[in-house]
Amino acid sequence: MHLHPFELHRPTTVEETVRLARGLPGGFDWLAGGTDLLPNYKMHLNVRPHLIALGGVDELRGRSGGRVGAMTRLGDLERDSEFGASYPGLAEAIGEVATPLVRESATIGGNLLVETRCFFFNQSLPWRESLGYCLKADGDRCHVVPQKVKCYATFSGDVAPALAVLDARVEVAGPDGRRSVPLLALYDAAGDGIRRTHLGPGELLVAIDLPDSARGMPANYQKLRVRPAFDFPELGLAAAGRIVDGRVESLALAAGGLETYPRRFDELTGPLLGERLSEERIRALAESVRLAVRPVHNTFLAPDYRRRMVAVFVRRAVARLGSVPGGTAG
Amino acid sequence: MSAPLKVRINGQPIESPCPDERILLDLLREDLNLTGTKRGCDLGTCGCCTVWIDGRPTLSCLTLARSAEGREVTTIEGISPGTGMNDVQRAFVEKGATQCGFCTPGFVMTATALLRDRPHPSREEIVRAISGNLCRCTGYTKIIEAVESAASGGTS
Ligand SMILES: Cc1cc2nc3c(=O)[nH]c(=O)nc-3n(C[C@H](O)[C@H](O)[C@H](O)COP(=O)(O)OP(=O)(O)OC[C@H]3O[C@@H](n4cnc5c(N)ncnc54)[C@H](O)[C@@H]3O)c2cc1C
Ligand code: SF4
Ligand code: FES
Ligand code: FES
Repeated sequence: MHLHPFELHRPTTVEETVRLARGLPGGFDWLAGGTDLLPNYKMHLNVRPHLIALGGVDELRGRSGGRVGAMTRLGDLERDSEFGASYPGLAEAIGEVATPLVRESATIGGNLLVETRCFFFNQSLPWRESLGYCLKADGDRCHVVPQKVKCYATFSGDVAPALAVLDARVEVAGPDGRRSVPLLALYDAAGDGIRRTHLGPGELLVAIDLPDSARGMPANYQKLRVRPAFDFPELGLAAAGRIVDGRVESLALAAGGLETYPRRFDELTGPLLGERLSEERIRALAESVRLAVRPVHNTFLAPDYRRRMVAVFVRRAVARLGSVPGGTAG
Repeated sequence: MSAPLKVRINGQPIESPCPDERILLDLLREDLNLTGTKRGCDLGTCGCCTVWIDGRPTLSCLTLARSAEGREVTTIEGISPGTGMNDVQRAFVEKGATQCGFCTPGFVMTATALLRDRPHPSREEIVRAISGNLCRCTGYTKIIEAVESAASGGTS
């Protein structure tokens, strides 16, 4: 499959990158590892006449303590044993992305901004043409929820939930300079599968910052997929927290693969802080998270099954964070 | 139109006119006639197109040729010493790890890189390392055995 003609730009500093982005007629996309963007381009999904490659910008690469450049490759983070030991839940999520070969090119920044997915969208041009295009590319209706003029394409990145439970922040650079925001503030919870982030025109992700409290924090990540490699998450559940002698000192849960954005469940975990866990409380928490999420039928597995697995994963996640006295929270 | 692309392929400096949107796999197969690298899915979901860029296994179907500018690309044609086979290739032949053969170049590129970095991987590490390569014929058992055999110097 050949790509449509475009012009490739290769800046070397963040400032040059931001400047470049201002003057490109017809629009552009940032190119990181290309493992999400190029398959979409091959299927002629929302292609642009310009690509700005970020691979030559030194500042975006590599890790220093809790600061991870947006262009750091997942494969390199996986081989970074000090990183894995410091952030075990994050390492689990990274190791579940795609395949080892994809992770050699895939970057962490690209993973946070991976295009939302839907089985009416991630299809070849002839396939989409024969059914009729949809809102997300070239069309004016949604095949999943036809009664609404809204896109329900699913956020399918594995790493965002694992970062969210560690209170990670991201640094963004753009025409108005730089800003740092909590990771989840990047995503537009009031938007949809198309308007999915709060990144302004010409803004890019520079780095991810993990707070000191994240280092060594017990954490884990579970992923629901059909095959143990290749498949995007049908549900990804991240958990982090300290449960000491059955008492909750801190607890955060976040999920991806269910809705148009990744989200945390602080309103559901908050009441447990300082409380002693029981099997009953864990089951109630799991059930409340199941009821809070609203997957639609646009991925491989049925939404009801994915919701039921949310409850199973919450129970397992909490059990892994600290064993419950007398409980078998499996 | 950009200047010609300069890249080293299997040790040879290459200069090729190359539109910005050219995919590395297409450059290799269509422009340079290096057809050992296979096009399976063209979308990152099979591993048949695996090459090395500066020694790292890379899916050439998801890589712009321009991203390899100034770097060293190694393909299946460049992986064996002289005209013979490398240990992994020999083990694939001896263990019957290839049937139709379409997936074989990709597996060889992945497995050779694995054994270079970890000369004595566990079976589990082998399975994980090749989990981005699909084979529709062998059922993988023979492939895993071949990599194990290559790791033990061809004696097992
Ligand atoms: C076979 C296959 C299986 C996959 N399975 C999974 C999976 O299981 N889980 C998963 O999470 N992903 C999966 N992916 C998707 C993808 O590989 C990963 O999400 C990857 O981390 C994306 O990173 P990238 O560097 O390749 O991004 P790119 O493709 O380069 O970019 C992705 C998007 O992010 C934007 N972007 C990238 N970097 C920046 C930045 N610094 N600032 C602003 N915007 C930016 C790009 O413009 C683009 O829109 C899979 C892909 C393939 C081909
Ligand atoms: S959810 Fe609807 S609009 Fe969005 S990609 Fe799927 S079919 Fe298209
Ligand atoms: S052809 Fe590249 S992964 Fe299938
Ligand atoms: S031998 Fe035929 S696909 Fe592997």
